[in-house]
Amino acid sequence: MAKIERAQKLFLDSLNEKFSGQDIESEKTTFYNFNGVRQSPRKREFMKATEAIEKSRGISMYDPERCHLGGIPMGQRQLMTYQVSQSGVYCEGDDLHFVNNAAMQQFWDDIRRTVIVGMDMAHATLQKRLGKEVTPETINEYLHILNHAMPGAAVVQEHMVETHPGLVDDCYVKVFTGDDELADDIEKQFLIDVNKLFTEDAAEELKKEVGTSMYQAIHIPSIVSRTCDGGTTSRWSAMQIGMSFIAAYRMCAGEAAVADLSYAAKHAGVVQMASILPARRARGPNEPGGIKFGLFGDIIQADRKHPNDPARASLEVVGAGVMLFDQIWLGSYMSGGVGFTQYATAAYTDNILDEFTYYGMDYLKDKYNFDYTAPSPDQILEPTQDLVNDLATEVNLNAMEQYEQFPTMMEDHFGGSQRAGVMAAACGLTCSISTGNSNAGLNGWYLSMLMHKEGWSRLGFFGYDLQDQCGSANSLAMDGDRGLMGELRGPNYPNYAMNVGHQGEYAAIVSGAHYGRGDEFCYSPLVKITFADPSLKFDFSDPRREFARGAIREFMPAGERSLIIPAR
Amino acid sequence: MAYTPQYGPGTSIVAENRRNQMNPNHDLEKIRDVTDEDIVMVLGHRAPGSAYPTAHPPLAEQQEPDCPMRKLVTPTEGAKAGDRVRYVQFADSMFNAPSQPYQRTYAEMYRFRGIDPGTLSGRQIVECRERDLEQYAKLLVETEMFDPALVSMRGATVHGHSLRLSEDGMQFDMLQRCVLSDDGVVKYVKDQIGVPLDREVAVGKPMDEEWLKAHSTIFHSLVGTAYRDDKEYVEYIVRVHTLRTKYGFMPKEE
Repeated sequence: MAKIERAQKLFLDSLNEKFSGQDIESEKTTFYNFNGVRQSPRKREFMKATEAIEKSRGISMYDPERCHLGGIPMGQRQLMTYQVSQSGVYCEGDDLHFVNNAAMQQFWDDIRRTVIVGMDMAHATLQKRLGKEVTPETINEYLHILNHAMPGAAVVQEHMVETHPGLVDDCYVKVFTGDDELADDIEKQFLIDVNKLFTEDAAEELKKEVGTSMYQAIHIPSIVSRTCDGGTTSRWSAMQIGMSFIAAYRMCAGEAAVADLSYAAKHAGVVQMASILPARRARGPNEPGGIKFGLFGDIIQADRKHPNDPARASLEVVGAGVMLFDQIWLGSYMSGGVGFTQYATAAYTDNILDEFTYYGMDYLKDKYNFDYTAPSPDQILEPTQDLVNDLATEVNLNAMEQYEQFPTMMEDHFGGSQRAGVMAAACGLTCSISTGNSNAGLNGWYLSMLMHKEGWSRLGFFGYDLQDQCGSANSLAMDGDRGLMGELRGPNYPNYAMNVGHQGEYAAIVSGAHYGRGDEFCYSPLVKITFADPSLKFDFSDPRREFARGAIREFMPAGERSLIIPAR
Repeated sequence: MAYTPQYGPGTSIVAENRRNQMNPNHDLEKIRDVTDEDIVMVLGHRAPGSAYPTAHPPLAEQQEPDCPMRKLVTPTEGAKAGDRVRYVQFADSMFNAPSQPYQRTYAEMYRFRGIDPGTLSGRQIVECRERDLEQYAKLLVETEMFDPALVSMRGATVHGHSLRLSEDGMQFDMLQRCVLSDDGVVKYVKDQIGVPLDREVAVGKPMDEEWLKAHSTIFHSLVGTAYRDDKEYVEYIVRVHTLRTKYGFMPKEE
């Protein structure tokens, strides 16, 4: 380890904006003179909104000046704003709670309502069992019918109820294939064009992986998966697929071959975004706890936008991951309330994690001549213990020193769990990006945790005792029930299942291993292609920017209901 | 063979202070006097002078099961009397407060009996029988493990350990349980949970920066001792991590 000079500190702009007019390197400040909760425009907005609600419903509601600590409201210190990292957008912390942020909701909606269904088995059934002809023309006709049916419209029966298109306009189906000739014959409106969405090299590799097979990227209506759950997605999709095949290929609705189509659409040909969870967590497929970290790295598309910056691409995975896994999964599915939000936001606001991570990139360049701006398997460093120890030690020490040198930054990340997650993430990313090895990245994470705990004699909340003080021992293990390669670990991995401030970062560390190598995908080429689709409501190539748009109320989500409720 | 604990690695003053606080053979320097009654007031668990509420009858008055462990372990005075289990919780500023969360836990485990500590980033709690607790809390407040400005007893709403200090040098506390008086003495005006006290409780004057730097148990490159400069400490952590990693990956002797 040896400290290197890095003049550019990405967090300075944020600190100067947040603590405007103050010396951001001073250890002293004033407190108790901020007018409490009323210093925040957003809190004032909440209080005003409450007045109308209380008059309308006759039941008391938001009352922070009476109910908080028996009459002592928040805001005895400065209630800070936050910059969503590298977006230039400042917002209040409240704007980053997923209830207050439509982009965050849509992010999760777009994942939960997605399944990928292969067409090969269905086509084989039609051709070999029924002797039907399957051509690009019939596929196009089928897709027309399917895009009519998938949102909730009838295609076979008489006298059926249907859904209002204005309520389900986010629902559609596209297809993709590795066969350029076949792709050319598919109507453009139905095609995810791999050649246009990826670089030439990446497209060739992805097409090779997909081969001549054709897959449907299906997005059922947000309103359906919200009203039901992630387990609904494949069922809703399979029902409409079955009916559309019947209609498109003039089948008998009750003939036995339909069972083959149904089985393919419901099970054999389906790629879920998340696996089912055990009874103690009790969720079906396509719920957050079942998303493998490698698959999540393919959902996020930032490496398409930043192919020569694996650090940036990984940081986008951090932002997306902590939002989903900390704020929504652990924070709401598994717990409840509002406390989890700020564990997560620390990792994607104010460019603090960004700065620590780029320090790692500079250190790699300086000491190991590793050029992170040219991702390639050729320059990947051998993932030795000595290398991981050196990288994680230096990146962690630098991060601790930055917090110490800038007391306002320590105040920004006022909780030990926030700092622990951020510092360990920078260490893990530095290790995984440079070695192309996700487990080496995880190992760097745990050295950071031990070093942090001993240096400051504190770490995070109790959960960090459980997870991070024993993590060294499982980070490289592959034994069943205690080890696995990073790509196949996930939020329900035994030692990861209960602790906020980790899972999103782990997903990024795993992804970084592939971004650093310049891989075309982390885990599934099918998922990579599906979420490259520009027709999705949420832009998965720029998640932090999208969350920022949500925070300032510029993001338009799906899930319209004004068509069926009284006008305000 | 008698085992001699090493307590921890490191060549820095921080490492030395940590070892001293942990080592029960090291006499912690007494710096201030706080009366038993004042400690009871700040703890806020019972009114000064009142009897200790009990969770069970005194051990001498109840039938004890024939348990070999109970014969081995001598109960504390609080356990003998059947006291409730209550707590004291400290918030320690990162600006060179003399003790810090894990350090407190380690030190208490070496020095006290019958305790259940809990360690977080912004606070450290220790729970035990009430009359034992009052003794322990008194030691923790009167000695070099305490500073009136940078350490405070807080049952809830502990926010402050990582914040900048107030202009008067006090650690932030949104409830302002203790304040720096005009005479330079820190006085508690609320108990640790935030209930106003009938009278102020003085806990002495804040220690000066030089003393704090010389007695702190946290590394801090701006106001104290840089972690990076204690190479032995850093190497030790790396060694622990490496050995744990290797054992988890391949649990066999090489």
